Amino acid sequence: MTTRTEELLLNVGPQHPSTHGVFRLVVKLDGEVIKEATPVMGYLHRGTEKLAEDLTYTQIIPYTDRMDYLSAMTNNYVFCHAVETLMGIEIPERAEYLRVIVMELNRIASHLVWWGTYLLDIGAMSPFLYAFRDREKIIDLLNELSGARLTYFYMRVGGVKWDAPEGWIQKVKNFISYMKEKVDEYDDLVTGNEIFMARVKGVGTYDAETAINYGLSGPNLRCTGVEWDLRKTKPYSIYDRFEFDVPTQTAGDCYARYLVRIEEIRQSLRILEQATEQFPDGGEIMGKVPRAIRPPEGEVYVSVESPRGELGCYLISKGKPQPYRVKFRRPSFVNLQLLPKLLVGETLSNLIAILGAVDIVVGEVDG
Amino acid sequence: MKGLVKGLGVTFKNLTRKKVTYRYPDVPLKMPDRFRGIQHFIPEKCIVCNQCARICPTQCITLTGKPNPDPEKRVKVIDTFDINFEICILCDLCTEVCPTEAIVMTNNFELAAYSRDDLFKDKDWLVANNTNVRSENSLNKRAKGAN
Amino acid sequence: MADLMQQPITWGSVSLMVLSAAVLLLIVLGYVTYAILFERKVIGWIQGRHGPNRLGPFGLLQTVADVIKLLIKEDIVPRNADRALFILAPVIVFVPSFTVLATIPYTRNLPFADLNVGLLYYAAISSISALGMLLGGWASNNKYSLIGGMRSAAQMISYEIPLVISFIGVILMSGSLRLSTIVEEQGPWFWQWNFVPQILGFLVFIVAALAELNRTPFDLPEAESELVAGYFTEYSGFRFAFFMLAEYVYVYAIAALTTILFLGGWHPPFPFLDFIPGIIWFLLKFCLVVFTIFWIRATMPRMRGDHLMSFGWKVLLPLSLINVFITAVVLEILR
Ligand code: SF4
Ligand code: SF4
Repeated sequence: MTTRTEELLLNVGPQHPSTHGVFRLVVKLDGEVIKEATPVMGYLHRGTEKLAEDLTYTQIIPYTDRMDYLSAMTNNYVFCHAVETLMGIEIPERAEYLRVIVMELNRIASHLVWWGTYLLDIGAMSPFLYAFRDREKIIDLLNELSGARLTYFYMRVGGVKWDAPEGWIQKVKNFISYMKEKVDEYDDLVTGNEIFMARVKGVGTYDAETAINYGLSGPNLRCTGVEWDLRKTKPYSIYDRFEFDVPTQTAGDCYARYLVRIEEIRQSLRILEQATEQFPDGGEIMGKVPRAIRPPEGEVYVSVESPRGELGCYLISKGKPQPYRVKFRRPSFVNLQLLPKLLVGETLSNLIAILGAVDIVVGEVDG
Repeated sequence: MKGLVKGLGVTFKNLTRKKVTYRYPDVPLKMPDRFRGIQHFIPEKCIVCNQCARICPTQCITLTGKPNPDPEKRVKVIDTFDINFEICILCDLCTEVCPTEAIVMTNNFELAAYSRDDLFKDKDWLVANNTNVRSENSLNKRAKGAN
Repeated sequence: MADLMQQPITWGSVSLMVLSAAVLLLIVLGYVTYAILFERKVIGWIQGRHGPNRLGPFGLLQTVADVIKLLIKEDIVPRNADRALFILAPVIVFVPSFTVLATIPYTRNLPFADLNVGLLYYAAISSISALGMLLGGWASNNKYSLIGGMRSAAQMISYEIPLVISFIGVILMSGSLRLSTIVEEQGPWFWQWNFVPQILGFLVFIVAALAELNRTPFDLPEAESELVAGYFTEYSGFRFAFFMLAEYVYVYAIAALTTILFLGGWHPPFPFLDFIPGIIWFLLKFCLVVFTIFWIRATMPRMRGDHLMSFGWKVLLPLSLINVFITAVVLEILR
């Protein structure tokens, strides 16, 4: 009698604890080894770009909150920045500082969520709770400033909606020193853990050339040694005023991505330190913006460094109150493109480690 | 081995730390003043200018006016005013544009209901929702930040 | 109790045996109830939370409520499942877990069945549970369950071996497989307990025991983030409760066994503390072991299957063999 073997078709998701939302991966398994992986996306597609064609510029901003809901501030910013660039609006100094502070706070919050959920995928429970405990502090700060905990809708074309309430900057400063301690604790808890290292070292490795060919950006690119951070390479806002490093690693595996993100938290804290130090004493928070926002006919592409990579906004205006076309370059979506290739030949437990290390936000993948 | 032991040390240290959870719902959660909760509506102030309904990105406000009972005055008064909280994203735009602050934000946020129909709130409900009203409301009345 | 075994079987002795088994079951159920609560509390505290605290004072009734909920839940057998095996699997998992408790001696005067092959009995019976897990995974007709079942079978078999071999050092030291003798053979001072001379065997035992228990960092069969719930994905209601129960009863058994084999059973750490009854010492050590197991769970990430296998075969097995060898040589020299 000959034994007959058969490949096992496994649906990972759309309802699965480790796909971080409604994301589905169809994998063909031979034993526990993956022969083929096909990502299926679109379960969370809300048509933001199409909806935007019928909305005024101000109305679009709250929709951008909901794309990458872990870093709504960056999304707010990229859209406002596009409109401001097209209209040539000058942003007051104080507003710029507030924007940078909230964006960096948001970057830390986003990396914390990633850190916690990634460790949860790997099987450790406590880091998740620790990450959320510390993220809560950021959320409280942003809540006090903008009036919301997740979908901040804080920026407006020309500036920001609220000025910093009294004592807020001091609270941010306190948070910075608190967080510095915590990052070291994270290092103790996880970074040197042998089991963790065995899980992620040498897993999901790719080189710089592949990464660039697939258009990866953010930590997914920097883990291969390419020093590409838009805050440095194409400075926007007032990032050229701050001193910070772009953390890179050369291994290109999941562990390298992990180290890059942990180091980015430290660098963000550095930026925050300088920004709160230099924070101007007074001044406007809204630039001179016409009552009706009608950018002149034309098109513009701006890009910023979101926690996940290059977040771009391509805007075409025909001089109407509504844009003619808005297109977002969503880093989560682009970073996923390498996945099918990366997963072949890996085991099921590596699938989780690799998918988690990409750091996707399904709201952004599906648009 | 060293990493594992270090990790155990971190978790053990945390064992005795202060707990960080809230006692919600036993103790109500106090939101900061700027928090965007459920709107409060003040019919007397409304001039039926329709700006809030127009700016709303999800088109969840429906309102109608009726002629002023005082025949001397030409301005309409509000008749019905509904917000559909199934789709309201609490974005703050309606309160931002309202010229008379007839619609303002409160810090209340508990909207959970057993039926979707319950989320359709009418004028009376919004008028009655008059606690924890936010102190700084439209853009013009921005509090001066001090640092 | 011990002489009961020797007597001819009469109605009286049989009913006494059944009765004491029932009492033990009740004690074990009570233990499981509070072990689950304790685990959730400990993990909660470690994570900056309070753990369950809504039901009863300090949440003491939380597990009771959970169990009631599980019991009154609809009993679901998936349509494509292999019905007979699906129903049988939780039983196969649970029965051995309870049966092994029979040999555990708590104090000098309170052994249940003082078998002269106690340790062997434990090792033999406890491995039957793996069969139940494999069956459950197979019978559910679910891909995740199947993978989970396979993993657990592979893991159980690989780790059974170093576990049993790590026993041998202890057996050599005490010259008996009888658990009560093993305790008696350990000296009155705490450095005379087996975990000092048998430190290698102790470490191997702890690691292999965690793997046997399917607990973090070896919880691959039920790796939640990969396999949803592993071999019991399709189980619900009281069948699921049986799997849970078996898991915690094994924690009980392993903690008791660790206490007996390596931590000196009911001996106080210093002979002058003898006035405190042995059962208290036993319980203290037992709780310490249980706490450590929970503490490890709150800290460690999960190992990967292939690492787990190579670790078991290439590290633990040789280590345990070396331990046997060293013990034998040293004992021979000392004689
Ligand atoms: S808060 Fe936003 S979504 Fe809600 S009613 Fe006002 S404008 Fe509409
Ligand atoms: S914007 Fe204000 S005044 Fe105008 S209709 Fe709405 S609530 Fe009434």
